[in-house]
Amino acid sequence: MEKKRITFKVFRFNPAVDDLPHYESYVMEVKKDALVLDILNRIKWEFDGSFTYRRSCRHGICGSCSIRVNGKVVLSCKENVFELTDIFGDLLVLEPQNKQKVIKDMVIDRVDFWNKYTEVKPFLVAKYDEHPEVEARVSPDEASLMLDSDICIQCANCYSVCPSVRVNEKYYGPAAFVKAYRFIVDTRDHNKKERIDIINEPEKGVWDCVKCYKCAEVCPKGVNPIEKITLLHNQVFKEGRAKNNVATRHAIGFKKSIQKNGFLDEGFLVRYSEGIFGTMKHLREAFDMFRRGKIKMPWNMPSKPKKMNEIKQLIKVASKIECRRKW
Amino acid sequence: MSESFIKNIPVQEYDVVIVGAGLAGTSAAMDIQKAGKKVAVISKLHPLRSHSGAAQGGINAALSAEDSPDLHAFDTVKGSDYLADQNAVEFMCQKAPETVRWIANCGAVFSRSSDGHIAMRPFGGATKPRACYAKDRTGLALLQTVYEQAIAAGVRFFSEWYVSDLIYKDGVTRGVVAFDLLGLNYTIFNAKAVMFATGGYARAYKVTTNAHANTGDGLSIVARHGLPLEDMEFVQFHPTGLAGRGILISEAARGEGGRLYNSEGERFMEKYAPESKELAPRDIISRCIAMEIREGRGVGPKKDAVEIRLMHLGERLIMTRLPELRDLAITFLGQDMIVEPVYISPTAHYSMGGIPCDIEGHVKKDSRGTIVTGLYAAGECACVSVHGANRLGCNSLLDALVFGRHTAETIINDLNNGTLILHKVTAEDADAAIGEVEGILHSKGEESVPVLRDRLRESMTENAGVFRTEESLLKEREILAELSERYRHIHIDDKNRVYNTDLEEAIELGHMLDYARFIVEGAIARKESRGAHFRYDYPERDDKNFLKHSYMFMHSDGTIKIEYGDVHIGKFKPKKRIY
Ligand SMILES: Cc1cc2nc3c(=O)[nH]c(=O)nc-3n(C[C@H](O)[C@H](O)[C@H](O)COP(=O)(O)OP(=O)(O)OC[C@H]3O[C@@H](n4cnc5c(N)ncnc54)[C@H](O)[C@@H]3O)c2cc1C
Ligand code: SF4
Ligand code: SF4
Ligand code: FES
Repeated sequence: MEKKRITFKVFRFNPAVDDLPHYESYVMEVKKDALVLDILNRIKWEFDGSFTYRRSCRHGICGSCSIRVNGKVVLSCKENVFELTDIFGDLLVLEPQNKQKVIKDMVIDRVDFWNKYTEVKPFLVAKYDEHPEVEARVSPDEASLMLDSDICIQCANCYSVCPSVRVNEKYYGPAAFVKAYRFIVDTRDHNKKERIDIINEPEKGVWDCVKCYKCAEVCPKGVNPIEKITLLHNQVFKEGRAKNNVATRHAIGFKKSIQKNGFLDEGFLVRYSEGIFGTMKHLREAFDMFRRGKIKMPWNMPSKPKKMNEIKQLIKVASKIECRRKW
Repeated sequence: MSESFIKNIPVQEYDVVIVGAGLAGTSAAMDIQKAGKKVAVISKLHPLRSHSGAAQGGINAALSAEDSPDLHAFDTVKGSDYLADQNAVEFMCQKAPETVRWIANCGAVFSRSSDGHIAMRPFGGATKPRACYAKDRTGLALLQTVYEQAIAAGVRFFSEWYVSDLIYKDGVTRGVVAFDLLGLNYTIFNAKAVMFATGGYARAYKVTTNAHANTGDGLSIVARHGLPLEDMEFVQFHPTGLAGRGILISEAARGEGGRLYNSEGERFMEKYAPESKELAPRDIISRCIAMEIREGRGVGPKKDAVEIRLMHLGERLIMTRLPELRDLAITFLGQDMIVEPVYISPTAHYSMGGIPCDIEGHVKKDSRGTIVTGLYAAGECACVSVHGANRLGCNSLLDALVFGRHTAETIINDLNNGTLILHKVTAEDADAAIGEVEGILHSKGEESVPVLRDRLRESMTENAGVFRTEESLLKEREILAELSERYRHIHIDDKNRVYNTDLEEAIELGHMLDYARFIVEGAIARKESRGAHFRYDYPERDDKNFLKHSYMFMHSDGTIKIEYGDVHIGKFKPKKRIY
């Protein structure tokens, strides 16, 4: 089998002996079918037993083993090493998912992540019989409303890249909203009102999402959190419980941008919803988004799509129920 | 270790302490909490990372009109090669429909048929389709649900805490000793009842479907107190592990119509099991595959695999019912089942043996069924025995859920009727456990844990795997003795107390070495072939001498003594197993 020599530059920090983190390099012959977890194991088992990371199932279902390779968040037991060297070359940098929260080497503190998981009340609220003779029926259509939100493995990849979490630690984050969404669309649940209140909370709730789509890009299970967040936005409008704040303005701005241009002008969106001072605090993300082609400079704006009328029509239909505009 | 550290060890008091937060432990905790008892669950993994979440194929329940709990029981008993205790099997199969409906009503997202009922698929050894499934991620759906309901009920979880010993003195259970991985601080959990739900032990094999965490800790912890383990020689080898890796391709692949072919393009199951073909039970298919490979009809670079073909099912079916499996084969072997065959071979999968329990979940201390006051077990670490010599697919999630909850009921009753009291503990009760852990932490030997562990796992796969002989087993006995001796001279690199997984792996290896002896001794003594235990030198089942459960006890010098106990035979009399 094809092999190559790869250098792994690995983030190391052991609070019992190190004042500061440092990087250690390990050079290995790596086979074509090796996964990142195989490398973590080899570092521990062949080089240094004190190297520390979380893992269990080794096939992408327990959600323990996410780290970063050259900045990219990956579920290490599902990520092929050669695919990474194709992108980054033969020097791979292994780091924890979030360096700010490191406990030791690749192990990070996840208390905030799990707290937010619990705060969105991640359990079905329903009266059920302890010894049921029949099951509650759920049609395949009703089940499909969940859009696979039930397969989230809580790996926190999305959470660790979310720019809103970074600037606002109260923000629940994409994974928690996926959970919230999963129960809001569950036809058996009796707690819808409270659930909407939770995700509608200022600062913590869905309105602080800046729609950067990063969460969707990094999810190893294809869960697509931003899709659920958008549906939650709609839901709040539909229930008529949107409040006039930066966040709802953001949503309306979103709509305006599309109405005007036929596509989302993210720069306009932030200016519209937060005003010029508010915009300043997003400069870092803005720069990120600009680099990734999400924000277009006016001279680069794509021309309006041909079917502008159709889009406007669609928006009209979609926003039959809309909150009152006061500004 | 300073004197004062031991004296200051904190003690927490509970009615019930549960070790393990998989399906069995978590479901039990939820019911116990709801009954108003003070319960703590200790788990070395975050509960949602437990191996129950990895189950793919489904959970059995006779829900359809054409099926019945009786048929389910018959299939289970026949699948077990008649070694299962039929009273336990009957109980489980009777409870199955309400248990599955209950977990669905608690929120589990099952796949549904067009009329809104829980969908079912065929599985090996089952005469009717009765595997209720959530695509190919059934375990995830169930584990999430019980965990969610457990937090809703207010259960206290100690996650990333490692239980290293049971406090069991003068025949009474007093609690457990545990430490947090984060800081290696010891705590005594003093409790009226202790329940083990620590999962399976197939990690002792090199090629396995099991998670890194499945190191059978609970079994060795119990066995070190002189309590028996039952039927340990029965380890299930799943026929379809991804070649070389052992990662599971669920039986759902065959349930949905997958076929097995050898290098000559022959659908070989037609000659071994003309009736059921690919849907024969696992032990049989695993042996057939091993036989094909042995006789030179394997595929792949090492000719050590066979093909499973699913192309004829079409992309739509594969993407709606087996998406996870497709993804796994692509990740690990680069093979896309929609367009090409996938290479598979047998892999160590499930532990039929375990801590002997009666139907109520009480741990037994001998082959006559005397119970240990205050000690309980359920799930894969327990042996009730509903799986006998070979478990049927989709019966173990059921086992974990039915007996997890039923054991909770037993504990609640035992607490309510005053059978259980809190036996006081002293700091000295933790001495042995702390001594072991600190001993490893400060060890200065020559031997390396990964080296010994590799040797253990490779040799077990080779000598105590799908095929066994007196010769291979005696060889393994010696290897284990040698490894245990070398284990006394290990060292670890990490000498610090913060999140020390080097230490954890070393402790786990100690457990693996201990319970591996039970597997080998049980296999040496069982001079017959039954279910998953196949002896080349004794290829026939021998009901006269071995329609018996083995109860094995470890002495302090490491030798193992075997007693045999009766099998509970009910209405299904032992017959030859033909599929
Ligand atoms: C890949 C795979 C697929 C499977 N598919 C199916 C299927 O489709 N259908 C089916 O019926 N069965 C299936 N099984 C089997 C089934 O998943 C298991 O038998 C079942 O989930 C076991 O549940 P459990 O609660 O006993 O243990 P587990 O879920 O394994 O939980 C064990 C718990 O014990 C804890 N623990 C262990 N040791 C310690 C310690 N020393 N200190 C503290 N905590 C500890 C762990 O942290 C964990 O929480 C499958 C198994 C595998 C490996
Ligand atoms: S789309 Fe929203 S939730 Fe997703 S990463 Fe961006 S800000 Fe966070
Ligand atoms: S949504 Fe995806 S990325 Fe986020 S925690 Fe769940 S599985 Fe991980
Ligand atoms: S080890 Fe479980 S997801 Fe990677």
